[in-house]
Order: sequence, then structure tokens, then C-alpha cells
Amino acid sequence: MKSFAPTRRTFLKAGTAATALLGLAPSVMRQAAAQEADLAPYKSAKIDWQQASGETITIAVIPASYFENLISLAPQFKALTGIDVRFEKIPPAQIRQKSVIDLTSKTGTYATHAADPMYYSLYAANKWVEPLDSYLADKSLTDADWFKFDDIIPAWRAADSVDGKQYGVPYDGEVTIQVYRKDLYDAKGLKPADDLETFVKNAAALNAPNDRIWGTALRGVAGAGQNMYIYPSIFREFGGQWFKGGKLTVNGPEAEAALAWYIDVMRKYAPTAAANWNWPDIADAFSQGTVASYIDAHSSASVINNPEKSKVIGKVGYARWPKGPTGKRVSSIWNWGFPINAAQTDKKKKATWLFIQWAASAETQARTAHRFAGPAKRSGVNRSSIWKDPDYVKLMNGFGDNFVEATMATLQSDTDVDWRPRVPQWPAIGDTMATAIQSALSGQATIKAALDDAQRRVEPMMRG
Amino acid sequence: MTARRFRIIATLAITLLFLLAWAFPILWSVLNSLKTDSDVLAYPPKLFFTPTLEPYRDVLFGSASILPNLVSSFVISIGTTIITMLMAVPAAYALARLRFRGKKFAGFYVLATQMLPPVGIIIPYFLILRNIGWIDTYQGIILIYLSFSLPFAIWLLVSYFEDIPFEMEEAAYLDGASRMKTLRRIIIPQVRGGIAVTVVFVFLNAWNEFLFAVVLSGNTVRPVTVAMFNFVSVEQTLWAKLAAVSVLAMLPVVILGVVAQKNIVKGLTVGAVKGGGRR
Repeated sequence: MKSFAPTRRTFLKAGTAATALLGLAPSVMRQAAAQEADLAPYKSAKIDWQQASGETITIAVIPASYFENLISLAPQFKALTGIDVRFEKIPPAQIRQKSVIDLTSKTGTYATHAADPMYYSLYAANKWVEPLDSYLADKSLTDADWFKFDDIIPAWRAADSVDGKQYGVPYDGEVTIQVYRKDLYDAKGLKPADDLETFVKNAAALNAPNDRIWGTALRGVAGAGQNMYIYPSIFREFGGQWFKGGKLTVNGPEAEAALAWYIDVMRKYAPTAAANWNWPDIADAFSQGTVASYIDAHSSASVINNPEKSKVIGKVGYARWPKGPTGKRVSSIWNWGFPINAAQTDKKKKATWLFIQWAASAETQARTAHRFAGPAKRSGVNRSSIWKDPDYVKLMNGFGDNFVEATMATLQSDTDVDWRPRVPQWPAIGDTMATAIQSALSGQATIKAALDDAQRRVEPMMRG
Repeated sequence: MTARRFRIIATLAITLLFLLAWAFPILWSVLNSLKTDSDVLAYPPKLFFTPTLEPYRDVLFGSASILPNLVSSFVISIGTTIITMLMAVPAAYALARLRFRGKKFAGFYVLATQMLPPVGIIIPYFLILRNIGWIDTYQGIILIYLSFSLPFAIWLLVSYFEDIPFEMEEAAYLDGASRMKTLRRIIIPQVRGGIAVTVVFVFLNAWNEFLFAVVLSGNTVRPVTVAMFNFVSVEQTLWAKLAAVSVLAMLPVVILGVVAQKNIVKGLTVGAVKGGGRR
């Protein structure tokens, strides 16, 4: 403590010096990066990268290491295209709000933004973003043989399209898998669960709150992207269908069984506080050794393997989502993709597309992942080809047993673009369902009452 | 005697309990800001640990430095406070003392702007600023902050002005002072406490504002309340850094509070005594 006793003068001095340094550092780094950049892999594309030179575009992203890596490569993009890119980092909850305000008011502030896939129906219904098919087909804008759009993971591509039309290009994605403590499972002779029943049995076998170990944890906090991220998979695995005879249905026997399963697991085998947990909290708890398993995004692997705070490194294994009573596995997927804001000049739209093509290209994906110079390595690379690259596979398998296999198998076989109802009204529906799930979990309402109430609230939304 | 002692002890105990409940989050932030990430997550929570200044070094001088954001917050809060006070003091005086047509309506109108829920006016504000090119500028954010700090300041100050006996003013007029001079020399010194209270509240509101700031700011002007959220990333929450930023963001307000305390206490008692006397 004694070391922190600066006089006012030294404090001011340090502050001024630091500010001066801060001002200088980025420009020095930018120059260096631009000089070192080898642009040949991009120039082999048969398009004129310089066709929108001189434009400046602003892009909203969320604060995350995978976007930081991309931002640090922006000078290379500038050298390649002559387009200036300004990045604005906005937290996830606010980026939706800000981009919707920008899109509704047609102000064209953000040329593109890291978009929530569940918002594309809303965007497309209002024609706020451009359909991308014409950009992909235009030979002056896209070299199809070079860009290899089909190489981008199909499940994420499908999530960024509406009625077969592409509206966004995935940059970084996630898929939900099972994560478990190999050492604890081995000690009791358990195997990672292949179905939900075994998942519960495993959790019960390891649940020992008195020793500060709980069987499992699932997202509990209310929110369209929180408890409504995990519940839809369970609902679909129990045979639930969002649309019955064209009508959005959130109640009924399948829904009740699914919600009952979730509540049972959360009440019996998860820490009480998990009712308010989101994914970082689950990963934090797992990294401290207090949770024996969880089902959440594969990207959380980097948190539970962070040497600075994790106590479980080398003790982690991965598996696919357990099968439901219907025998189906329904994993949830997520990706941050880039759409083109329709409220822009044609030249700016071209500049935006060039940026999207650059960011989603195999070359940039590799440069921001296993070939990135910094410490943060991306686990959400968008290219099937990179997931087969031995260098990348080796890096990813460092996260623990079976990581790449579980992730790839899930992405190929267990995803379902309709794991959540993809309708423009989703944001409101998601919030309504989130509240219903939470009220049933906390015991404020019975399962049936909570779901029936949600159905009553959801119906008018679909009419309006 | 024992009954009295018991009362004192009970009062003390209850006060301490409330104080603890109030101070706990702040103590918690201060403690966590001095820990490493692994100590933050340790269970049971460590009260004794090797303190580190790493979180502070990171948030001040690291790649995601919040120094520019602190500067933004200062410019916005000080700008808002100065302009608000320059306009609110005369306005409050006028509402308290002068007789003019539409006074009642003006008073109500000032209050009415406070009744709108902020969320409802974000989009119109965004559009206005966007059209005049003031998004992500100091003047833009200060202008919007004025729209709620000004009515608040005026209504707070009106009550202080009303508390000053009119006889004092009359005495000044009889001695030949003009209205402006009376205001400057007689009235304002009397409401110093009220002005101090208002300054603190206006500064505090501007400093802590988040809802408008997140929508109307950008890369150039970004107050610390918005920047702080970047330590809650989608991948993980950087607890130690978040705590360090919170402590840094708290400091200016705490300092202002301590400085203004003398005046605030005076201001509060002036009002209280007067109110009591009237009855």
C-alpha cells in the first residue's frame, strides 16, 4: 500500500507523460503493422480493392478479444483498399439499442455493426439492411473463387439469412456444448452425458454443496440472450415446436416438460445464485472448481483455461449437447455477423462490402486467430477450412479433451436455425419468455401458469 | 441513566448497521480494485491479501486507458454545471420573486419537462443532434444534459429563494441598490448553501448519467460511465479492473461532496429552520 502515495506533482507528471505516450503509441504501432503487412494473399482476388478508396466508414463492434484482434489489423485494410475504418466499441446490450436507433432513423451512422442474428428478421422486414446476394454475385465486388463464401460454417450463414436471403456475413461464432470436469468424472467412473437423463444423474452424483461443489449450472438470469439462450434447446429436445399450425406456441405439454426439467436441474444441482447467473459467472465458477459441469458456449473455453485465474486447467473435457427424450440434440448457435446498412450512398455500401469481405475472408480469419501475434486466440473462427488446419486444431485442443471434435460435430449435426422463433417480434417475445422462465424458477408461478401467461402475452405481439 | 445509555447504544448500533449496508459496496469495490483476478474469485473472500496496483495501472495507462473518458466526463459535467447554474440562478429568482404574466404556467412547464420518462425522448434527441451534426460532441451532450439539469436546478433553487425574507430585499432597495445589485450582493450570498447543494446534485447527475451518454456519445466524447462497461466483455467480466474504474469514477464526486459539505449542511439547516419557523 505504501507504494501508492504519489504527491500531486508526481501524479500530474505521470498522468501527462502517460497521456502523451498514449497519443503516440497507436500511430507508431499502426505504421509498423501496415509496413509489415503482406497484402499479396488479398491481391490474388480478382477485384479492384481500391474502388472505394478515400471513403471513411464507422463500424460498431462489441468489446471482445476477437474484435480487438480485427481492429489491430485495420491498418492493413487501409493499405489494401484506401478506406478508413473507425471502430466504435459498444457493450452488447447497448449495441442493439444503438444500431436499431441508427437504422430506424436512417442516419447511416454505422456502415455495419456486429449484429445479433435474431434481429435480421426485424432488419429485413423493414428493409434497413441490404440483401447481400447481389453483392456476392457481382464480379466487380466479389471474387467468388477467392472469397469462398461456402467455406463459412453453414449453420452460422443460415442464422444470418431470412427466407433464404443472406443479410449478414458471420465474422465470429459460438455453439453450445457440454463442458465437464474430467478429473471428477473419472474419479466416480462417470462418462459425459449422451442424454439429458444421464446429464442429471452425473450432476446428482457430483453434487456436494457442503464441499462447495455443485453438479452443474445453466444460465439463470432473465433475458432474451440469457435463460432464453438455454431454454429453447431444451424445449426443442422435448419435442417442442415454435409454430403449431402457423401459430406461435410457447405453452403445452412439451414446453411444460422442458421447463420442469430445467427448473429441477437448477433447483437441485446448481448453486442457488445461478438463478441470477449469466455465462461469465458460470465460467468463473467453473474455473474456480465449484461447478462440475455446464452447458454453454464453446468459446467459454478460453475463460476456464485462463492461467491467471483458472484452477482447473488440464482437467476439462467437452462433449456434445445431451440428447433429449425425442432422441434429438438441439444445440444453440450464435454469431456476430456484419450486415450492410441500407441508409448509405452506393460508394459507402461498396466500401462496407469490401470491409465485410476482408474481415470474413479466410486470410483475415487466420491472421486474427492462430496466426495472430498477440495472446488472445479466437475460438470462433468462421471458416470450415481453418477448423481443419492442423495448426489451428492443435491450438484449440489445448483447451482440453475433445474440444475440436465436440465443437465440429455439434456445428455439423446438432444445430437448428429455428432453435428460436425467427420472427421480427423476437426481441419482445424473447423478453416475455425470459420473464416467464424466471418466475417459474423462483416459484412465483407454477410452470403451467407461467407458460400459459407467456402464451397470452405473445399472441397479440404476433398479430401486431 | 441505564435506559438512556441503552438508547444511545441502540441508536449507535442501528446507525452502524445502516452505515455498513451503505458502505459495503464501496468497500467491496475498493478491496477488489486492489486484488488480482484470481484473488477476486477466491472463496472464502479474502480480506487479507497482497494488494496490487496492477488493475489501476491497466485502466489508467493500459491499452484500454480510461483517462480520455475521465477527461470527457469532466468536460461534460463541469460544462453542464456551469451553464446550468448561470441560467438557473436568475430563473429561480424570477420564479420566486417577480410577478409576470404566465408565471404559473412557466413554472409548471419547467417541471413538466421532468415528467417525461428519459427513454421516451432518446430517439428524438438522437435525431435532433444527428441533424445538426452534434452527435459525439461536447456541445451536443451538454445541451441534452441541460434539458434535465436546468429544470431540476431551477426548482431546487426556487425554494431557497422563497425562504429569504422579502424585507431584506426591501431594505436594500431603500438604500438605493438596483435589483441586479441586490441579487448579487444580498440574495445570492444568502442562498449560498442552496447553490452548493444544487451544484453538487447537477454535477453528480451529469457525472453519473449513462442512458443518454451511451446513445449520444461516440469515439470522440465518451464519458467514463459508458467506457466502464467495456470491462464487462462478452467473454468475461474483468472484476478487478471494473472495480478500479469504479473507484476512480467515484473519487471526483466524493471530493466535491467533501468540499461542498460545509455549505450543504448549512443549506439544509437554513431550509429546515425556516420551514419550522413558518409554522
